[in-house]
This record gives sequence, C-alpha cells and structure tokens, in this order.
Amino acid sequence: MTRPIATKIKAHYDGEDLGASEGLLVAIARLLDPLAEGEALELITENLSVADDLRIWCRRAGHRLVQAVPENGKSNIVIERGFVRRTLSDPAEWGVRIPRRGDTIDMRDWQVGRSAIIAEEAPRGGTLAPRGAAVEEGAPEIEFSIRKRSDIWANSISELYEQATSSQWVGARDIPWRELATLDEEVERSVCQIMTFLAENEYAALYVPARFIGQIHPHFSEAALFLSTVMVDEARHIEVFTKRALANGGGLGVASATTQLSLASLLEPNDFSTASFLLSVLGEGTFLDLLTFLEDHAPEQATREICRRARQDEARHVRFGIAHAKYTLEADISAARRFGKAVELRAEFLKSVSGVGALIEEALIIYAGGGMTPAALRAGTKRVAGLYETMHGNRVKRLAAAGFGIDQADHMSRLHTPNFM
Amino acid sequence: MTKPILMGAVAYDPKVVPIWDGIREYLKEVGPGMDYVLFSNYEAQVDALTSGFIDIAWNTNLAYVRTHRRTNGRCRALAMRDTDVDYCSVIVVRNDAGINSVADLRGKTLALGSRDSGHAAILPLYFLKRQDIDPARDLKLMRFDLDVGKHGDTGASEAAVLNAVASGQAEAGAVGDPFWAKALEERVINGDKVRLLWTTPTYHHCNFTALDSLEESRYKPWVEALLKMDYNNAEHRPLLDMEGLKRWLPAQTEGYRTLFEAVEEQGIE
Repeated sequence: MTRPIATKIKAHYDGEDLGASEGLLVAIARLLDPLAEGEALELITENLSVADDLRIWCRRAGHRLVQAVPENGKSNIVIERGFVRRTLSDPAEWGVRIPRRGDTIDMRDWQVGRSAIIAEEAPRGGTLAPRGAAVEEGAPEIEFSIRKRSDIWANSISELYEQATSSQWVGARDIPWRELATLDEEVERSVCQIMTFLAENEYAALYVPARFIGQIHPHFSEAALFLSTVMVDEARHIEVFTKRALANGGGLGVASATTQLSLASLLEPNDFSTASFLLSVLGEGTFLDLLTFLEDHAPEQATREICRRARQDEARHVRFGIAHAKYTLEADISAARRFGKAVELRAEFLKSVSGVGALIEEALIIYAGGGMTPAALRAGTKRVAGLYETMHGNRVKRLAAAGFGIDQADHMSRLHTPNFM
Repeated sequence: MTKPILMGAVAYDPKVVPIWDGIREYLKEVGPGMDYVLFSNYEAQVDALTSGFIDIAWNTNLAYVRTHRRTNGRCRALAMRDTDVDYCSVIVVRNDAGINSVADLRGKTLALGSRDSGHAAILPLYFLKRQDIDPARDLKLMRFDLDVGKHGDTGASEAAVLNAVASGQAEAGAVGDPFWAKALEERVINGDKVRLLWTTPTYHHCNFTALDSLEESRYKPWVEALLKMDYNNAEHRPLLDMEGLKRWLPAQTEGYRTLFEAVEEQGIE
C-alpha cells in the first residue's frame, strides 16, 4: 500500500485494544508533544471505536487525523500534529542528576540543572514553583517584596536546613517528663516564671519569621524552607516551656509589661535583615547563654533536657542570623549603618526598661542558687551576675563574627535590651 | 470615527462574561472597538439582530438559519471557530444493546438532546433519515428538552443523553462531537458500557452573523482583528479555551445546507 504521508511520520504507537478513554489519549498527547507542526504519529489499533474517537478528539485538540486504514483486522491511523503548543513553556529538564552523599541526597547538592542558577535579584513577578521549573507563560505573577538575594540569603543555608530537619524532636516524647518530682516551692515557682518568660520570648521568635516567609520570592526557596524549620522549632519550644510550667503543680507566671514591650519592638522592623539581626544575632544569641545557664543549674532532669534541646535549636537559628548578617553586610555597604540605627532605635524605644524585671531576676537567682536560704541566694546572685557578663562577652563575639569591628560590637552589645531577647 | 460594533451573545454559562470581556479588551488594544450585550435565549438575539439593535450576533447554526430565513437571505456569516467548520453528531450506543450498525437502531430507543439543539436533536434525526431510519416509524425517541432557547449550548441535555444510554434507559443516543471528545478526554466514558457507533457527515456550527446592511468598513477590521487571535499567546489562550477553539476562521456557509433542509423537513419554525 502506498502512503504518501509516510515521510512525515516521526513517532509510532501500538495501542492494541486500548480505548480512547481508557488511556490511549495519554500516549497520543505525549507522543505528539515533541513533534513539529505537520509531523505525524502512526498508531496501530485493534479497537474499532478508536478511529472515530480520535478523529473527533483531534478536531478539539487542534490536530488532524489524516489517515485511518483497516489492515488485517487492525486500523492504521496517522495523526498530524497541529500548530498548537500544549504548554507555553520551555521544555521540562531531562538528564539532571543530583550527586549522592553515600545513601543520602543533601540540599547542599541540589544546585544542579536550571536550579543551579541563582540570581542576585529575582524577577519581579514570582511563581509558586521550584527554581528551575519551566514556568508556563500566562501563569499569574505574584509580587514578592523580598527578591534581592542579599536581603534573605546565607551561604550555609542549605546545610542549616539539613541540620534542622535531621534534628527535629518531639516535645511529648523526648523530654523525660517522668523524672518530674515535687520541688522546693520557691524553686518550682521560679521554674514556672522562667518557663513563662521563655515561652513569651519564643512567641516573638515564631512571629518574626512568620511575618516574612510569605514575602520571600520562591527563587530563594532555601530561605523560606529554612525559616519554616525555625518556626517549627519555635512552636515546639513554646509547647515544652508551657508544658513544663503546667506540669508540676505550679502554673503559668506573669507576662510583664517590660518583657512584652521589649518583644513587641522585635516586630517593628519592616526589612527582614534588620529584624533577623535584632532577633537572631542579638536576641537569640543572648538567649543561648540564658539556656546554657538554665541547663547548668536545672533543678531536675526534665527542665534540664528542655533547655538543652531548645539551646541546640537556637544555636542553629543564631548561626543563620550571623551568616545572613555577614552575607548582607558584605553585599550591601549601607547594611551596617541600618543595623546600628535599628539597635539605637530599639534602645531609645526601650529606655524605660532598666533591667530584666524583678520577677525574672528573682526567679533566676532562686533557680540558680537552688532555693531561698541565705546561702542559696548568695550563690544564685553571684551566678546571675556572671551570666550577664557572659552574655555581653558572647554578644560581642557574635557581632564580630558577623563582620562588625570590636568597638562597634561592644557599643551595640551594651545598647542591647537588658531583657535578653 | 466609526461606531464600535455592538455584538450579541447568549448567556448560556457564567463564563460568557469573561470570554467577551476579554475579547472586548483585546479588540480595544488592536483597534476596532466592540461592546456586547447578552441575551437569555437565541430567539431574542435573532430579534435584536433583525431589528437592528445589535450589529453582529454570535449565533448557533439554528439561530443563523432562522436569521437567514427571516431576512430572506439578506444576512452574512462573518467568522467562525475552527471547531465550527467540520462539526458532526455522534450516535452512541450501549455495548449490550446488540447494535452493530446504523440499521440495527430500528426498533430501539434513541435519546436526544434539546429539541432546539442542531447537534443533539435536529441534525442527528436528519442524517439518520438519510440512512433510511425514519424516526417516526423506526425509533422510540427519548427527548431531553433542557435549557430550551439556548440551542444545546449548555451541554445539559447531552449529559442527560449520555447518562440515559449508560444507565440503560435508552439503547442509543445523539450528542455533538465536542461533547463526546470532552467526555473521552475526561475519561467519564465507561468503554465497557458505551461506545461510539456512528458519526454523521460534518456540518457547520456557530458563526458571527450580520445583516447585509452592515458596512464592510465596520465589520472588516473587527473580523481581521479576531482572526489574529493566537492560541500560542498566553493572554489569548484562556479566552479561546473557554470559547472552545484554537483559532477563528473566515466563515464558510456551504455546511449549513443540511440544517436548512432539516428545519424545513421537521417543520421547525
């Protein structure tokens, strides 16, 4: 049999007895996709309805059924591809392979294929798609206000993300709650007040990233993903601090006006870098020293484990904060002044706050000394004074790590809120 | 300055508004202005066209035939969808009804769409008659007269036809081929129960109709702009998808002959 159109045939499929609505259209659409307009697919079918069904389908899909010839109980059908492109996008990627680290696949290695191209500034219109996906024309363009890399990025961000996901723990299970026993009443009261205070601080640490995640251009998805782990961490910290306050016969303590004023000021900055600098470098940095202190002087194992686990998570948040500040300070010469100004503004705003507040300070002294006997109070007072010194010294070190000079770091550290966070 | 075209369309679905709003915006950008009005049924639209209230009507084949008869042919088809050119009707049957050819339809129940649907009622009967199946004598007709006035645009009566065949109320049924293609694509057809038996010869479906008193200087730029819409353009694609075409074509009219005859034969006003 002569087939004048045979030269245009570029794809073949044997549909056996498969019906059009049983999946045959899937094969046909996929095989037609890579063809050029006018090129053809040849289909062999034993299903008698297929020729008519396809003639009808082709009309709707913008293709042309140009031949349907019966041959030994089968039909030989030729479909010519029309002018219509099914998707208005670049082709999907093919042949990309992320390298393995042993048995694992690590986010640090996923910058392969088109995803490897990270722009300094993402395009104005954003799409909710992985970086490197072939976005179809006509997809809605979403405005994301954080679209400069230096406004959100940190060099270690993928590594921090992997650490975060592999270090998740469960508040209900991983704290030795059964170790809880009745404590000296003043000590228990202090634990409850401190746990209330810690939970308050973690609400700030939860809500600050929450304000920004929705503004991050998905081109910098690593940042959005990492900050999501921060939020999960903070949620878990709020959970365990609250549980501890409620668990041993005490209850939730006082949320003081000065603490609330200090935390509310963390929600003020409208750019992520400044907010992150105040929260993660200065606030959570200081918080690390507090958690170490609470771990060292914990009256029982559950509280010790809570503080230990929270501190490990917070250390990661601080590492991100420092790495992001460093990235921003290197990319943007105005950032140092912006951060300095923010610290001064916050100090000005909080000038009525002269200390951590009597309730917290008393609780820390009793907690660290182990009770309210004269000997305990003497020891506790001394330890808390030592804590303040440690906090200042470590803050200066973290600011230096972010890229500030020692004098500037010392000045900024002294302006930091006495309320720790 | 030429007066903008006032076009009429029938509101058979809420999507009619975004379709014509979108096309109006497109036409505003490329030159010839247009506004549109919506009618609840084709009869009112034909009245509005013949009385001169609108300049152009987006008509079904039956509305075109009525306009043509009403004006003694003093009307003109301007453009149509690519899918309107070689439209056909599909006779579907139950696999267990013992129907293997058109002749086997004799004595069976045939489900039909709305009585004013060219593709799901009028033309299937016309073409079956040319296959020597006399509806009055040979068939029990099960009519689904849904959304009458909308000439089958809503697809409601075709869905009822398909349902009647699938559920065994009718042994066979008639639907338009776009409806069948969509059902195949959406995999709502159970191939074990229902299959395509026969397709009618092709005919034309919708077109933009104007009275022949509409000056060429007014409709020509409008039609030319319409024909330039491009399915591979991301802004045009959603409009064309909603209206069910890949491109607009200049109108052809020879494919309406069968409907003229069918309307005459079946005594449809």
